[in-house]
Amino acid sequence: MYQDKTVKVVVCSGTACYVMGGSELLLLDDHIPSRWKGHVELEGSPCLGFCKNKTQGKAPFAVIDGEVLSEATIPGILKKIEEKLGET
Amino acid sequence: MHNTISLATATKPPQGLSPFDETTAPSAPHERPGPCLDELFIEVGYYQEKKHGQGAAGDVFLSKKTSDGHLISVLSDGLGSGIKAGVLATLTATMAMQFVAEDIPIQRAARIIMKTLPVCKERNISYATFTIVDIDGMNRVRIIEYDNPPYVLIRQSVECEPIKKMLLVHRRGVPKKSPPEPFTNARMYYSAFEALPGDRLIFFSDGIPQSGMGSAPFPLGWGNPAVHSYIQQEIAEKPDISARELAQHLVFRALLHDGYRAFDDITCGVIYFRKPRKLLVLSGPPIDSNRDRELADLFTRFPGKKIVCGGTTATIIGRELGRPVRVCLKDIDPEVPPASSMEGADLVTEGIITLGKVAELLEQGPRFDRFRANAALHLVEFLLDSDHIDFVVGTKINEAHQDPSMPVELEIRRNIVKRIASLLEERYLKKTTIRFI
Ligand code: FES
Repeated sequence: MYQDKTVKVVVCSGTACYVMGGSELLLLDDHIPSRWKGHVELEGSPCLGFCKNKTQGKAPFAVIDGEVLSEATIPGILKKIEEKLGET
Repeated sequence: MHNTISLATATKPPQGLSPFDETTAPSAPHERPGPCLDELFIEVGYYQEKKHGQGAAGDVFLSKKTSDGHLISVLSDGLGSGIKAGVLATLTATMAMQFVAEDIPIQRAARIIMKTLPVCKERNISYATFTIVDIDGMNRVRIIEYDNPPYVLIRQSVECEPIKKMLLVHRRGVPKKSPPEPFTNARMYYSAFEALPGDRLIFFSDGIPQSGMGSAPFPLGWGNPAVHSYIQQEIAEKPDISARELAQHLVFRALLHDGYRAFDDITCGVIYFRKPRKLLVLSGPPIDSNRDRELADLFTRFPGKKIVCGGTTATIIGRELGRPVRVCLKDIDPEVPPASSMEGADLVTEGIITLGKVAELLEQGPRFDRFRANAALHLVEFLLDSDHIDFVVGTKINEAHQDPSMPVELEIRRNIVKRIASLLEERYLKKTTIRFI
């Protein structure tokens, strides 16, 4: 269905992101629909550095296939993955 | 009677010869340089199980460090069990502790205790037994034993048998005779030696050798020889087993023989003379990024365990050394960010939140098994398993943490590390240093 496509999601687990709600994001795996299994690769990261740079928006941050998502939420990330997998 | 001590089974020429007289009492001036205290850390661990069904333990184990650098440990076993035995044992142990701490030579202290202790009329034995261990700042050990199972000294994984001098003490209520008779008088045993790195001293109440008594495998109890070989086997299997752990293993084994219902109070104390275990905790980026390399060098050169506490700090070290930092996504905890891994580091954690939690745990200790396993608890375990802890704190302020829209207030790294270090020193008797970079 998605051929060999995988989407790489990097979630920041640095201090600023963690207190701004990033702890939830690390549980992303529990929210991934089964049809996507094997097509989403989740990785945690120490502070990505965006929090120190006001122009990138607000914590928490996630990077989906290279695209930075600020004020990330689980539904927000899922939506991005959907886009990347070409489901919509 | 011997007047020197030798270690019968030691393969090397006996070290630490020490005359058996009170002139070498703890307060005597030191003429010989002993092993430097800085190089040796003395870990004292003990574990205890009450007799099944009793509300109070009849054995007492006390230990303390005095201001003049002595370490004193006392194990006392009160006759019988329960609260009455506990009171007698507490009385004995506290007296011993007080006397020795007050610089009364150990032999005299023991005599005074013997004369004070009530004697059981029917059995003509004192109401409490004791083992008093006094270690001075030069690692010279003096031990007095009265009616407890003999202590075990393990040097280089071999059991050594220090020669003991018998002291006869006249017991209250028994007619005095001269010369004193060994059978109507109380027999105490005095021995002394100089501890070497790696030595372990194990002493216990009779609940250990008598465990399992009456059972098919041990009709007469586990027995001292078997206890001694068990100790040696434990050490052979785990050469760096901590005092805390060894004491616990012995008590658990005895308890097993008793079918998990202790027939008597079971107590074991272990004193372990070891090279200090060193731990380095790096936290925070240096104030000036020119010093990033210095931080990485500190990390590589440190002889001991290493922990990096802070994502940015880990990223800096990883970048300087060309090592990736990977966050571990197992066991996500709602309160503490996950740990990461990096080659060469024993643990990598997030910074401020984790440190805050560590301080909280150390304040609430010492029963850590009640807490949820997360990166902070893991860090606490590393701290407690170490003796000397060096903190290196980067002083660069993290702009992002100063944002007023943050839902929690993040403490300044420097303050929190100071708080942790003083808790470690005061409550857990560790040695710490803090350096700022
Ligand atoms: S903490 Fe996530 S970008 Fe800094």
